[in-house]
Amino acid sequence: MPVAEAYLVIKNKVGLHARPARLLVQTAAQFQSRIQLQQGEKSANAKSIIGVLKLGAVFGDVLVLRAEGEDAEKAVKTLTELVDRKFDEEE
Amino acid sequence: MTVGLVIVSHSAQLAEGVVELAGQMAQGKVAIAAAGGTAAGALGTSVEKILAALHVVDGPDGILVLLDLGSAVMATEMAIEAFTEGREDFQDHIIISSAPLVEGAVIAAVESSIGNSLHEVAEAAAEACTLPKVHSQNSQD
Repeated sequence: MPVAEAYLVIKNKVGLHARPARLLVQTAAQFQSRIQLQQGEKSANAKSIIGVLKLGAVFGDVLVLRAEGEDAEKAVKTLTELVDRKFDEEE
Repeated sequence: MTVGLVIVSHSAQLAEGVVELAGQMAQGKVAIAAAGGTAAGALGTSVEKILAALHVVDGPDGILVLLDLGSAVMATEMAIEAFTEGREDFQDHIIISSAPLVEGAVIAAVESSIGNSLHEVAEAAAEACTLPKVHSQNSQD
């Protein structure tokens, strides 16, 4: 099973609050792979809004993104780009 | 299709506001209807309004009903009874959520928008009360 990993640095000022988290979950859900976010000791299923919101990631936080599945590489690439684009909602 | 949401509130304005917020999260992918206030426009709940909202959002994937206060449960149950009358296949078609209204609606909207089942959406909404509003430095979560 292909595995892909990347570090995500939260660059939008408000962090993973409601709208960015919603966008992340809706994007992750487009992939078949199992996608996890790890922040320190906390981890969350990237396809679960409650899991992502509970991470409470703020500006400057670093998360590990890990995908497992046939489309893992594409999932990691797409999600990394979304975070790097600051969720298309810069202040 | 996705799981439909009905927002029951004692206030029409509150119900509309929650629909607006949850709708933004659902990005047009989820049917969400408000059932707020009495038929006369006063504060309270209306079986007729809830029944109408159930019809608006109904689809093959079922409906999750979210409430502002527990006293809306009786009117909601009556509306569901009227809605499902004579439909035995509707046994597991509608779930009433105990989730806090705003958090529950926002979470349910996202979970429904990605195509999750009624039970998955209901479970996620039920966890809404575990979501901290303030992330303190020494939070145990």
